[in-house]
Amino acid sequence: MEILNVHHLSKIYGKGENQVNALKDVSFTLEQGEFAAVVGESGSGKSTLLNCIGALDSPTSGHICIAGKDLFSMKEEQRTIFRRRNIGFVFQSFQLIAELSVEENIMFPILLDYRKPDPTAVDEILEVLGLKDRRHHLPNQLSGGQQQRAAIGRALITRPKLILADEPTGNLDSKNSQDVVDLLVRASRHYRQTILMITHNNNLTVSADRVLRVSDGILTDWGGNENEKLS
Amino acid sequence: MKSYLDLVSVSAKVHKRQNQMSVFCIVLAVFLVAVIFGMADMAIRSQIMQVYMEEGSWHAAFKGLSDEEARMISARPEVTASSWYGVLNYNGDQGYTLEGKNVVICGSEESWITKMHIGIIAEGAFPQKDNEVMITKNAKTMLGLDLGDPVTVDGPAGARLQFIISGFSEGSGKTMEEDSYGIFLTTGEFRSLYSTVINGEAADYNSLYYVQFSRHSNIKRVISDIKTQFGLSDQLSSENTKLLGLLGQSGNSFMIQIYGSAAVLFLLVLLAGIMMIASSLNSNVAQRTQFFGMIRCIGATPKQVMRIVQREALGWCRIAIPLGISMGIVVIWILCAMLRYLSPKYFGGMAVFGISLPAILSGICVGIMTVFFAARSPAKRAAAVSPLAAVSGTRNNLSPVHKAVRTPFKIETSLGIHHAVSGKKNFLLMTGSFSLSIILFLSFSVTVDFMHHSLRPLKPWTPDISIVSQDNSCSINSVLLDEVRRNPAVKRAYGRMFAYDVPALINGEVRKVDLISYEENQFHWAEDFLLRGSVDEVQQGENSGLIVFDRQDIVKVGDIVTLQTGNKSATINITGSLSSVPFNTAPGVGTIICSENTFRQLTGQTDYTIIDLQLSKNVSDSDVDEIHRLAGTGVTFSDKRSGNRSVIGSFYSFGIFIYGFMTVIALITIFNIVNSTAMSVSARMKQYGVFRAIGLTNRQLIKMITAEAFTYAIIGSIFGVAIGLLLNRYLYASMVTFHWGEQWKLPFTEMTVIVAIVILSVILAVQGPAKRIRNMSVVDTISNL
Repeated sequence: MEILNVHHLSKIYGKGENQVNALKDVSFTLEQGEFAAVVGESGSGKSTLLNCIGALDSPTSGHICIAGKDLFSMKEEQRTIFRRRNIGFVFQSFQLIAELSVEENIMFPILLDYRKPDPTAVDEILEVLGLKDRRHHLPNQLSGGQQQRAAIGRALITRPKLILADEPTGNLDSKNSQDVVDLLVRASRHYRQTILMITHNNNLTVSADRVLRVSDGILTDWGGNENEKLS
Repeated sequence: MKSYLDLVSVSAKVHKRQNQMSVFCIVLAVFLVAVIFGMADMAIRSQIMQVYMEEGSWHAAFKGLSDEEARMISARPEVTASSWYGVLNYNGDQGYTLEGKNVVICGSEESWITKMHIGIIAEGAFPQKDNEVMITKNAKTMLGLDLGDPVTVDGPAGARLQFIISGFSEGSGKTMEEDSYGIFLTTGEFRSLYSTVINGEAADYNSLYYVQFSRHSNIKRVISDIKTQFGLSDQLSSENTKLLGLLGQSGNSFMIQIYGSAAVLFLLVLLAGIMMIASSLNSNVAQRTQFFGMIRCIGATPKQVMRIVQREALGWCRIAIPLGISMGIVVIWILCAMLRYLSPKYFGGMAVFGISLPAILSGICVGIMTVFFAARSPAKRAAAVSPLAAVSGTRNNLSPVHKAVRTPFKIETSLGIHHAVSGKKNFLLMTGSFSLSIILFLSFSVTVDFMHHSLRPLKPWTPDISIVSQDNSCSINSVLLDEVRRNPAVKRAYGRMFAYDVPALINGEVRKVDLISYEENQFHWAEDFLLRGSVDEVQQGENSGLIVFDRQDIVKVGDIVTLQTGNKSATINITGSLSSVPFNTAPGVGTIICSENTFRQLTGQTDYTIIDLQLSKNVSDSDVDEIHRLAGTGVTFSDKRSGNRSVIGSFYSFGIFIYGFMTVIALITIFNIVNSTAMSVSARMKQYGVFRAIGLTNRQLIKMITAEAFTYAIIGSIFGVAIGLLLNRYLYASMVTFHWGEQWKLPFTEMTVIVAIVILSVILAVQGPAKRIRNMSVVDTISNL
């Protein structure tokens, strides 16, 4: 089942001489449960691509459909609600709410949706993340790896169809980086979720089903996890 | 955690310190509103108390009504009390006397006293029968009368009116000052004194029908109805204008102008509150752009972000509003205590811990509404934060650096200025709140001019009691002066001798002058009015005098005036001139002031025409009665305390509240500037950490903050003074020019005071942040970037 369909996506910043074509006619699709990695140089347009797919930024032209719904044909309010139900975000700098405990951070998106968090679902996620004994800790009482795991938990709780991870291992050491990627892979397998992850770390693309390379705003599909091609 | 809004309470517990400044801002705004409305409420209450004492609590008076028409008016549902009231011998020219002193005879119904002049009965009751009388209590002390005693009033043409005393009333200012008595009769008995009128109408008895309406009725409309119903012209009806004005029921054009001014001031206070809170919330939100971006990222809608910000602000209200209102109430208590202490006779009735309902309600309403409205703008701003702000991490905008390097100022000054002006909304709110303080101060300062025009403060020479010769001659024994001086109730006593209409040869021309003697105290007070020459020379020397300035006067300093006193003539050297004296002379008659010695040498008189007494504090009526007995009945014993109290009472009740307003506004200005600057610095602390890391010294950072704060202050002052002056002029025109005709002048002093307060506040405001910067750990500050 097709979860993500990016169709002739372009993003242009500025005007005249200052015009920058951040994305040039990008098209690709991702199936349910697929784990794709996006690689590219700094400034190549990969973050812009992720922001457009996450409806954080609007494209200049083209369409993005998630689970068959065109993101930018919706109004802002609708789009936000759609995003919180269907897209999970994992950031490089974790972005946990400092005042809330691990458990509260994880259940927060459910509360934003005016739903009652299911304690068993929260328990299950904490179990998968290995954070059960840290559930009442505040973010500043956790290590970087634990914080990122909590952030992944927050992205998973709403059971989104698509998880977007922007360099989720950028602030972690190699051991924690591999743990986080393994966790994402496990989630994608376990919950049949599609994951699109930006990374600089070529080693981490080994776990990906597909590798997409962005260069000067042009996306090239490198297909399966052929690590040798990247290095 | 059951709702996403629970984040607000969790966050509030963690960020107590950061939120304190926002809470403080709301406290200030609520305090400002509560204290100003509370003070206005108490000022109105105190003024109403004063009007009740001086004028009574009637609302309208009608002339030319028949008894039947009066009954119809009294039957109206809006009428709470009504009475006929007439006066005989008001000016002492109709021949009614009691033991040789004038008697003012008043005729009314009981409700005139018991409902429209509450508190006037000192002892006993209003006459219940026609042969009974209530008399002012000075008669009790001077004539040794008591309840149930008979009293005989001598009438014109040898008539003798016999009454039984049913009660004693407090004396009025008029009877006390004129040393006369007042008696109250029933309407029936009063009318019987008009022996020539038989079965006449009320108008024949010189009586008016006074009416008190329910305060909940539309008094203006009811008066107009009555006038229409009985065909009464404006000349046949009058209103208790001051009382109706204070009750907000006056249709008087001057009062309408005052209401307009009050509305402008009310809106200004409201606006100042909104600005202060909006500015504080704006700073608070600005610090958390990334946070709002992040919660937008994880699915919060703009509406939900707005709700979070509004819930936060309302949460602060829970602490800030009670605190602001409590502070306001305490300040009002202090001011009311001052009023009671300064003028116990008038304001003794004010509750010690009085609660002003308008202050509390306005504080709560304005607090919540202001926070709600003020929170909308920052909430919108928070809601508008792009989710990108979270992922891109662009919260520490260093763009001012780019512009700052191109300006002629030093880098830190340029950075400070650019910090101030770079965020348009923040700049607008900060300068707006600074300028509103100035606008408030300049607008409220008009009320000081209003007070000085509407009230005449007591002069230092104003006596409490004057013992005056009945025939204006030098007939008061000088021994009396020594005797009253020995009385501990007397703080100061001084006499004057008058020689009226003395023929004088001045530069070859014969004119009349009044020769008046001064003693030490009066010479001292006269120094303030000295135009030329010396007071000392006249006080010490012999045969020298001071001339009082008069446009037509031909006497100049240095002239020698020959006075014709009795059948001898003597000369007096004019060695100085005064601009004015506290008493009037007949037109065309000059005034010469000399020492007592000179007066005695010139006239041969040794006794006084008038002895003025200033009494010590807490002097009782019995002390005054003792002085009265000392002076005897052969003089006019003019007790001016009541009139003085009225002047002092008005001045205090007005003055305390007006100067209270000004002080509160000045304090709010200081707190607001200090708090806003601290908040602005808090919001940029991380950026300052970056600046420190890249090489700016602490001194440069402090200069930067100073430049930023001064930019707000200077721009705020320019706008504040410009708009403040326009409003000052408008309010002056409505409150002063409209009534007294005096033209508006640039309020230079007020402008200087408030701008100085702003500048000093900025200097003070920089101290706290400077300390924080000195103690700042660069590593800790920038570690979370």
